[in-house]
Amino acid sequence: MTGENRTDAILRPIKERPSWRYYALLAVAIVGLIWFLQAWVFQLRNGMIVADIGDWGVGGGIPWGLYVGSFIWWVGIAHGGIIISAAVRLFGLDTYKPIARMAELLTLVALSVAALYILVHMGRPDRVVTSILPNLPTTIQSSPLAWDVTVITLYFVLTATYLGLTIREDLYAIRNRLPKVFSPIYSVMLVGYRPEEQPKIDRMAWWLALAVIILAPLFLHGGVIPWLFALLPGNPIWFGAAQGPQFLTIALSSALGSVIVMAYIFRRAYDWEHVIPDSVFAGLARWLALFAMLFLWLQIQKIVTGLSMAPAAIATGTEATAREPLYWAAIILIHVAVGYFALQMLFPSLFSVGRTVIAAALPVVATLLEKFIFVLEGLMYPVFRLHGGVPGSYAPTWVEISSVIGAFSIVLLFFLLVSRVIPLVEVEVHES
Amino acid sequence: MSRDNEGMRRPDRVAEIFDAEWEARARKTLELSGFDPDLAIEVARDALRVVTGDIDEDQFHARHHKAYVEEFEVDDRPRLFSSEEPAEAEPAPEPAMETEPEASPDAPEGEKNGRGVLSRRAAIGLAGGGAAALFLGDLLQAPMGAAGNDNPAGAGRGGDTPAGADTQDAASGSDRKVRMGMVIDLSKCEKLLMCAGGCKSGNGLPDGVHWIHTQAFQEPDRGDDIHYLVKNCQHCYNAPCVMVCPTTARHRREDGLVLTDYDLCFGCRYCQVSCPYGVNFFGWADPELHGGGYTGKRTDYRGKNVAGAPPTGMMGKCTFAVQRQESEATRGSTYCSSSCPNGVIHFGDINDPESEPLQYLRQRLNETQGQLSTFRLLEDLGTEPSIIFIGQEPSKNAEPVDGPRVHEEWGFVEERRSLLEGPEPWFKRIFGRD
Repeated sequence: MTGENRTDAILRPIKERPSWRYYALLAVAIVGLIWFLQAWVFQLRNGMIVADIGDWGVGGGIPWGLYVGSFIWWVGIAHGGIIISAAVRLFGLDTYKPIARMAELLTLVALSVAALYILVHMGRPDRVVTSILPNLPTTIQSSPLAWDVTVITLYFVLTATYLGLTIREDLYAIRNRLPKVFSPIYSVMLVGYRPEEQPKIDRMAWWLALAVIILAPLFLHGGVIPWLFALLPGNPIWFGAAQGPQFLTIALSSALGSVIVMAYIFRRAYDWEHVIPDSVFAGLARWLALFAMLFLWLQIQKIVTGLSMAPAAIATGTEATAREPLYWAAIILIHVAVGYFALQMLFPSLFSVGRTVIAAALPVVATLLEKFIFVLEGLMYPVFRLHGGVPGSYAPTWVEISSVIGAFSIVLLFFLLVSRVIPLVEVEVHES
Repeated sequence: MSRDNEGMRRPDRVAEIFDAEWEARARKTLELSGFDPDLAIEVARDALRVVTGDIDEDQFHARHHKAYVEEFEVDDRPRLFSSEEPAEAEPAPEPAMETEPEASPDAPEGEKNGRGVLSRRAAIGLAGGGAAALFLGDLLQAPMGAAGNDNPAGAGRGGDTPAGADTQDAASGSDRKVRMGMVIDLSKCEKLLMCAGGCKSGNGLPDGVHWIHTQAFQEPDRGDDIHYLVKNCQHCYNAPCVMVCPTTARHRREDGLVLTDYDLCFGCRYCQVSCPYGVNFFGWADPELHGGGYTGKRTDYRGKNVAGAPPTGMMGKCTFAVQRQESEATRGSTYCSSSCPNGVIHFGDINDPESEPLQYLRQRLNETQGQLSTFRLLEDLGTEPSIIFIGQEPSKNAEPVDGPRVHEEWGFVEERRSLLEGPEPWFKRIFGRD
């Protein structure tokens, strides 16, 4: 396949008329989004009472539920996504170059969805800027949530800059082939671009990738995000030094799984067999198997230590986790995925892209379940249990479940629209 | 030595094991020794009580100290609470109780009943040892040292000055800060829930919101006794909720009140999640929806919007009736303290030795000859709570029970979750009609 033909293939989503399937998906995404918005308006008008969360302790409820569980899951995907992309650039993993930009875009939209979840979770979302910003110099000293907001904002800026920088070269190279309708968008994105700047841009992108690869695993998903939970005094099963590594393996597993699924969808839709070859899926599956295995390994640490001679409060929480069917559903799903990937590595003749994608979807579902259980069990089994209402109970309401529908609709809508405007795969200007 | 210990005696297994028959045999043997057989028998029984767990070692050593000195002129057994007491500070034969003139102005109750005030060591000796005694010593010496001098509560431990002298220093010290807190005497609580009623009407709390809650509990394997825990916000000096708040809405006022600024709170509920006591109650909906609604003045002297039940979407909790602390007439009392008929709740500046709660604590200490069990809730978490409890501290195994009275009996809804049902969505109204 020549570079020119490859570029044609990459531009197919932008140049060709959308199929009826595209419109059908677009309709699904829009309906899902509208459904979510009306549910949110319902919540804003009536208060958080429309969610099933409640006061913990005497009240018999749980103050954080599906919203926070979903928030950390989407943040995990966002962090994993950009780690993949940055690793491709920094370590020269050229095999995975075709999925690098998809991972970056996934990061941007997943971060946005995570931020939206914060808003949906709040009693007074209208105050988010006025309450946080002026007090940041004070709160940044002690509030993990203030760190979280700060680092995620920094992270969003880094990711968007990184994506912006790397995309300009592509757009410039193919500027004559892009649809006229969107030319205002392209001219904004290309403002001030000169081809001579490219070496500098490459250098900047390299440094940004380095910053991301240090920041995201070590200080974000292996740091600030687990610290949101692990630094609190009253929730024993959130405590522990392994919380950072655990969060990181979950993030990477869910992100790799999502990227595999997404790459497959685009490959199917636009006949990109040569743009995203089988080797990409086989390789990503190996990485996914590694991180999913680490995830299982850390879960074993948690269960074995928690059920043996752990301090009473930790033992209670771990026992409760171990009695939770959803938790074991998650663990079994991961086992199936890891088992399949192991077999596939041992017997290469077993490999098929279809099976790989199905297996890759399992950790994506499993990590969402795990996050949900993690948040709930921490709140249900606090260190002080002398309340009539402990452990509390919780089952998401239609409003909360609508938020999950909404989140997926937003991601779907984002990719449906973005794929028509910018190339989802790097055009590799240097080579062509 | 039984004369010193009448108050401690209670029917126990010891009397069954070391019975009259045993005593007769022991007396016969002991008479040959030439020393006091009564003392030896009493010590033997107490030694068995240590084994059965009825008394602890410190109590054991404290009980017979005087008689030992009388009998042997020296008591070489482990010194009273030797781990905490510098050896040179303690002349061995000193009586456990003494009148300390410099302390008396601080302790009118003490003088009233002719006992004088307890020295720190005496308080320890009589308080039954352990953390409670150390805490009492600490309290009387430099109450709640934390406020004002960056001295974490408990850092004053190990000092050996008599109680009065130190409290006077603390009182006159220019850096002493007000720290509002409570002494809650659980031993007098009957779960009448008048406190909850007073708080609810004073603050306009919706049903199911218990800024102050009374939980009956039992200790498994320790009899059928029912104990009560009266639990409101502990107004911690080192409050996790204040630390984690991303907006500074949750803050500690200069007088120690931990409050929520309703102009800043955006309802993330991180304070609720971080609080180990479970005392936060969110504004899930309009308070008026469930029989609440606060109409009084919202702002305090700083102009901050902190009083009463929180508006929708914000976090609320016990404010120590901040609106009552605004005017001279109502200052120094809370809705719960003034509505409790049993005098369980005592509110005031726990950094001031003359404050009502500390006077009450000293009075109870004297009444019980120092045999007073006190604690602060979950103190080992380092939260430095401002509430001092008198009574049975719930153990890790404590089980919540209904007790003789339940909230519903008094017209309260205990479990708020049962009320938290949102309105029907439009699609249910449309499709669920027929």
